[in-house]
Amino acid sequence: MKEKRKKKQLGELGVFAVMVIIFVIMSIASPVFLKANNLINIVRQTVEIGIMAIGMTFLIIAGELDLSIGSLFATTAMFGGYLFKYEIVPPTAVFFLTLLLGILMGCVNGLLVTRVKIPSFIVTLGTMKIYRSFAYAIGDGQSIGQFPESASKSWVWSLGAKINGIPVQIFVMLALFIIAHILLKKTTYGYQVYATGGNPRAAHLSGINIKNVRLIAFAIMGFLCAVAALVSTAYLGTVTTTSGAGREMDAIAAVILGGAALSGGRGTILGTFLGAIIMATVKNGMVLLSVPVFWQDGFIGVVVILAVLVDTLFHKNDSER
Amino acid sequence: MAAVIEFKNITKRFGGTVALNDVSFSIEKGEIHCLCGENGAGKSTLINLCGGVFTPTEGQILVNGREENINTIRKSEKLGFSIVHQEVPLCLNMSVAHNIFLGSAEATKGWFLNEKHMSEKTRELLDMFRLHVEPTTLLGSLSIAEQSIVQIAKAVYFKPDILILDEPTAALTNDQREVMFEVVRKLVKEHGTTVLYVSHRLEEVMMLGDRLTVLKDGKYVTTRNVSDVTMDEIVTLMVGRKIEKTEWDRSYVTNEELLTVKNLCNGKKFQNISFSLHRGEILGLAGFVGAGRTEVLSSIFGADKLDSGEVYVKGERVNIRSPKDAIRKKISMIPENRRDDGLVTSMSIRQNAQLAVMDRISSKGFLSESKSVSLMEEMINKYSIKVGGMNDMILTLSGGNQQKVVIAKWIGNDPEILLCDEPTRGIDVGAKSEVYTILKDIASHGIGILMVSSELPELINLCDRIIVMHEGRITGEIMREEATEELITRYAAAI
Repeated sequence: MKEKRKKKQLGELGVFAVMVIIFVIMSIASPVFLKANNLINIVRQTVEIGIMAIGMTFLIIAGELDLSIGSLFATTAMFGGYLFKYEIVPPTAVFFLTLLLGILMGCVNGLLVTRVKIPSFIVTLGTMKIYRSFAYAIGDGQSIGQFPESASKSWVWSLGAKINGIPVQIFVMLALFIIAHILLKKTTYGYQVYATGGNPRAAHLSGINIKNVRLIAFAIMGFLCAVAALVSTAYLGTVTTTSGAGREMDAIAAVILGGAALSGGRGTILGTFLGAIIMATVKNGMVLLSVPVFWQDGFIGVVVILAVLVDTLFHKNDSER
Repeated sequence: MAAVIEFKNITKRFGGTVALNDVSFSIEKGEIHCLCGENGAGKSTLINLCGGVFTPTEGQILVNGREENINTIRKSEKLGFSIVHQEVPLCLNMSVAHNIFLGSAEATKGWFLNEKHMSEKTRELLDMFRLHVEPTTLLGSLSIAEQSIVQIAKAVYFKPDILILDEPTAALTNDQREVMFEVVRKLVKEHGTTVLYVSHRLEEVMMLGDRLTVLKDGKYVTTRNVSDVTMDEIVTLMVGRKIEKTEWDRSYVTNEELLTVKNLCNGKKFQNISFSLHRGEILGLAGFVGAGRTEVLSSIFGADKLDSGEVYVKGERVNIRSPKDAIRKKISMIPENRRDDGLVTSMSIRQNAQLAVMDRISSKGFLSESKSVSLMEEMINKYSIKVGGMNDMILTLSGGNQQKVVIAKWIGNDPEILLCDEPTRGIDVGAKSEVYTILKDIASHGIGILMVSSELPELINLCDRIIVMHEGRITGEIMREEATEELITRYAAAI
């Protein structure tokens, strides 16, 4: 009995250990790595994937998946960008409209999955394509940049700014991680998410509305994509139709690195945070070591498979009783 | 005549439970040997030993006079066994012909599939069973009865030395059954196949069998020639036990009707089910596996749909469409299958125990750690659940303690009506009696309990009244005073 408990803790520690190992190797290999500026840079580079991975954590624990988030990100970014650029409504209104659009698009995914009963993989594969077309359509195939002062001088742009050299977006991300952690661990909704993914039948028989639990997770996902889109717009000062492409896989990778099970029921926000940090660290490290850029994705692939392999070994006994 | 299979002192234990206890008998070449016994008598275990699914804890199985260690399914097949299981292990996404030839060398010619051969042979086979479907039909589009005929046909085609049929007629009509019997008899006559036939329908045993063996509570009772016994005698042999009813004398039944159902129907699963459950009553629902008892329970609970019928809770007509509705009406259900329906195996003991009582451990959507811990302590004490720590994973507990967690979870919900489906399945004797104490105790607090159980002693001991079902219909109602295993079995078999 005791042994099993230890194993579970090890699973959480596993991600942390991987991160520490990467940090140690990097700090030996590169003198610049441990400098404050570089560390801040790593966290900054975590923001976009990190925020989206939060939503993916809810979905994966609930036993679902969302492949459309890269496109959803692009659509909300283009939508917000268009409104900012042509000053159709005040920036604050753009901010909230963009978030609303994200939630709506997440709900479309969620409704198709829970009410029309199409598997999430297929629904979001479809909406990945559809939402991408929306992103192109909004800008007529063109990127949007050179925003007017009404936008760039507004409070929304402070999301991309720095305070005492620390990017504001880091605080946004950390706040979201903390809220998500509380939501998942301390509320009845989080409890229901774990139960729904762990055993939908048992959860349903326990009086949990598993359809709504999943629908809300999709809505959260859409909301977080929109947040990431706004942060990115403010930071880069430009939005492109192709932005976010491939982000869905990065987010899934971060969640899986963090110890979640694709079959549902298992995963933590802390794990996802560490997973996202690992991904950014690996990318950062490879740049510092001047590894050719085309090796980056390959190396991250290796890390993901290794991490899951280690996790599988830890959880080997779980399914045997 | 020579024995084809001889069981010598077979004992099979699963953890603490003894499924087979020192069973010895033999089956002779070319006979149709029937295996009779109540649910849980050990019939399935015996079959699984032949099939290489389990190996005996003690004892030997002799096949054609040689001791064999049947430890894999492949080994069993090599020895000439062919087993038709209750559930159909076929591929629903493939054609009838492809299913029949799945895994057979006859399916291919060189590197390619031999479609012509497969469809010709399949057509002959289907004609023999008078099943009018094309060999290319997808198996999934056939009815359950047709699917089980295909499964039997597949077994027959390869002319096994030993054919084991486990409740093969559960889904069949009488005509289909006649045809199947004909084919089986022909196989025996022409090929000298030995048949081990398991069915709880005694009339089939009388029609088909040469000899029969009765098992009871995992023990061997007797082997007789079918021509020498009557159905009544078989029932007595299957039951053959006096139950002491002293354990629970007191009854807490009142006149108040808590739950009344009228004419519940659900397709082929059950028809015209009507009964009422009173406050303080433990009402048993008896019958063989597949009689529709579980379906009745889950329909009342809103987990299964009802085609028609009325449900009243305390005299008020209710429309329960989901478990959530049922819980709101103060109905709880302890599901039959603990692992699949009762527990979330990726969660801790505490999380599992409180899944249905979220309101009690939270305020405004936020969980209260202290409320949760104190409720869990209360549950652990009240139901004497033996745990290392309440945050351990649920699967670290023994079956009995897992079941107590499931019961605690549902009683914690403060129900007025408790539906329980096989509340003591797969738990040891000690834990069983603890579960009985819990159920009796909550009945004494004015809760009505509707209990499905396949264990007759349990029903007789615990229930104030027993309703018996046979193939989706109520065939009898027995008051506590007159309840005997024999009477229940008679109603359950509808004889």
